[in-house]
This record gives sequence, structure tokens and C-alpha cells, in this order.
Amino acid sequence: MTLTSDEKADALGRIALFEGLERSSLLPLAEAASEIDFDDGDVLVIQGQIGTGLFIVVNGAVRIVRHGEDVAQLSPGDYLGELAVIDREPRSASAFAVGPTTCLALASWDLFRRVDADPALSHALLRGLALRVRSLSDHHHH
Amino acid sequence: MADTEALIDELAGLALFADLPRPELAAVAHTLEEEWHADGQRILREGLSGTGFYIVLEGEVAVRIGGEERARLHRGAFFGEAAILLGEPPGADVVAMGRARVVNLAGPAFHEFLMRHPSVMYRMLQEQTRRLRSANRWNR
Repeated sequence: MTLTSDEKADALGRIALFEGLERSSLLPLAEAASEIDFDDGDVLVIQGQIGTGLFIVVNGAVRIVRHGEDVAQLSPGDYLGELAVIDREPRSASAFAVGPTTCLALASWDLFRRVDADPALSHALLRGLALRVRSLSDHHHH
Repeated sequence: MADTEALIDELAGLALFADLPRPELAAVAHTLEEEWHADGQRILREGLSGTGFYIVLEGEVAVRIGGEERARLHRGAFFGEAAILLGEPPGADVVAMGRARVVNLAGPAFHEFLMRHPSVMYRMLQEQTRRLRSANRWNR
């Protein structure tokens, strides 16, 4: 299946990290994002490897495995590697396709290129992160 | 002015400003206000409005949420940005532990400051991601 730029922008816009981003910021990201098809059992990422970007499940399913244990299954709309797209830290879990699966992938270097060109994008990301840090801190406090 | 030169040199040593050429650093130094705080003085107050962006230059500050200490911040660390970005009162008390020196930018000036210095904003983005990862780990 081939997604249009608009459909890709929609998918990216649903990620918490990109919440509140203007369409004008999302579309260039969408253009840089690639659609990748996986067969059943194919590896998306391996725990411990340096993360290079994020994946959004468009079709199919993805199994998340941490220290050999299944910890989650992702469905269309779910995503992984959201923080890796900024900081390229080692992956905290492995991910495998379950059945034929299509994902939208955005590489960290493509995000950085847009961040350089678009201060509004940078600002929106900063704000989104601050929101998440704060809600996690509050959560912990209770 | 001799004082500003010294401040520029100090800012040049901070990770937050690592990407700035000297003229841009000078502009930043002119925008920021230097403040001393006495031991025990509250720089930011949880839940009360009155926002500002702060960077620690000298000494130590404690971050407290609901009376519980969460972190100690030292030279180069920044705080206060979340309240401004989110348009909410500060989520924590920040208290000077011993005499502390900070630089400060008033809330309303912060947005323009970030837009004018995108590389600073990028460094903050990296730091925020670090903080989110630690907060995630803590919650698991």
C-alpha cells in the first residue's frame, strides 16, 4: 500500500511527540518519512542497538520484546522509537512484525534537518516533551 | 562593560550555549539578568504564577514537589521553562541551597529568546528528552 503525503502527515500528527504541530511542520516530515513493508517475524529494531528513528504501525501488528519477554503488541496507529528519533539512545526493547506489516519510518537525521529549518517545530517538540515530563512527575508523585 | 565580558565567558562554558558564536553569546548575555539568592530563598514557587527561565551559574538549588526533594541542580542546569512553555504555574519549588547565583529571563521574553537562538532551543530539546527518559525509568 502506498500512503499519500497527507495520510503520512495524519499518521505523524497522532504521535504524542508531534501533538499540536501545524500542518506546515508535519508535511515536510511526512515527505521525509518512508513506508516499509515487513514479513511475518521480520525485525524492526533490536534491544540495545542505537536507535535511529521512529516507526508507526500503519497495517498489521508489531510484537515488543524486552529481555526475551513479550511486553506489548502494537496495532495500527501505535508507534515506537519516539524518543530515539531525538536522542538516539539504545533501543529499550526489540520489535518484530506479526504477519505482513507496513510501517511508516522517520529517521532521526531527517527530523534534525527539519528542526534546523523550522524553529516552530523545535518549539513544539520542546513544549510536548515538557508536558510529558511534567505529567510523568505528577503521576509518580501520586 | 567588564561585567558583561565575564558573564559572556561564563555562558560560553555551558553546554546549553555550546553552539553559539561569541557575538550571539554577547546578545544572550545582554538579555539575561544575573541574580544572587540567599540560602533558603525560593526562586520559583510551586503552584503560584510568576514564571521565569533560570540557569544556575554558581552554587546549588533544590527542586521540590509537594515538599519532597526531587533533584539538586548545579552550574549549567536550567529550570522554569516548563511553566512558560505550558502556560501553567511552576510545578515545583526551586530553593537556593546556600548562596546561589543564577541568570534569569522573564516568562514573556522566553518565546522570542528561543526563536532568536534556535541552537539553544535544540540543546534544551536534547535535555528534555533526557529528563523524559529518566522520568520514564523512575515510573516503571
